[in-house]
Amino acid sequence: MKTILAVDDSGSLRQMLSFSLKAAGYGVIEAVDGQDGLDKAKLQTVDLVLTDQNMPGMDGLTLIKALRGLKNYKNVPILMLTTESGDDIKALGRAAGANGWLVKPFDPARLTEVVKKLIG
Amino acid sequence: MATNETPASERLNLQVLQLLSGVSAHGDQHLAEVERDLVQMDVLLDEAIKKLCASFMAIHHAVDQQQEALDGLLADGMPSAASTARFEALRDEIKQHVAAAVTGLQFQDMTSQLISRMAQHLAGLRDVFSALDTNGSVLPESNNEVLLEALGQISDRVGACRTERAGGVRSTVNQRHMDSGDIELF
Repeated sequence: MKTILAVDDSGSLRQMLSFSLKAAGYGVIEAVDGQDGLDKAKLQTVDLVLTDQNMPGMDGLTLIKALRGLKNYKNVPILMLTTESGDDIKALGRAAGANGWLVKPFDPARLTEVVKKLIG
Repeated sequence: MATNETPASERLNLQVLQLLSGVSAHGDQHLAEVERDLVQMDVLLDEAIKKLCASFMAIHHAVDQQQEALDGLLADGMPSAASTARFEALRDEIKQHVAAAVTGLQFQDMTSQLISRMAQHLAGLRDVFSALDTNGSVLPESNNEVLLEALGQISDRVGACRTERAGGVRSTVNQRHMDSGDIELF
């Protein structure tokens, strides 16, 4: 089973992400912020990372940069899932190493379609 | 209290001081009320989303079990083609409602960010109102020079508030509806 790391400080968002991805047949590890996500990513290499941008402590862009600095995460797809949709921050995400940008709220079918495209 | 015999400059000083302290005190009072309401709204929304999510998960689980039971009944019996088609249509309808609920239940992520931003703006306003208070530093019988100096200091304090808060309340939520957002792969 492919495993996805879902990083978001909103409990309800994590619950909906987890519900949607599990229903599509993926395993899900939840993290409450960037630092928690980084710690969990180090414990177990996952197949895809979905991260929010605005979180207390470590934000999404910082998490992506940290993950890309790890040998195991050079080629793991990382998607941003955030309320933000400005071109400037998208460019920052891309430069940090994100593979895609999803604007909240997400539709479960469209989300799983993108995930399937990236990791099968 | 100023009377008509009080010199005009003293009456002006008194009026300015009363105006500033009134704006400062009343503004602060209103802000405190708004802050209380915002905190209460945040708490209510937090509890509401937890209950909604819990109910959603419970309903989904129950519907799943009902679906399994129905599938068993359909497999054991000889349902008509119309009944089978009807059950399939209902299954698709439920899937659509579940997807719509998952999208809708993400509202709190956005509302909490907006509330947090409002709280930061309120804190900024509180600083401004506080800066308007002369704290009795200018006596009503002071001359215009003293008042002008005090007004200059207030103006500096208000300016400092603006500098302190500049860039600190960036807007992170631009959504105007709860339809699903755009997806872009790099």
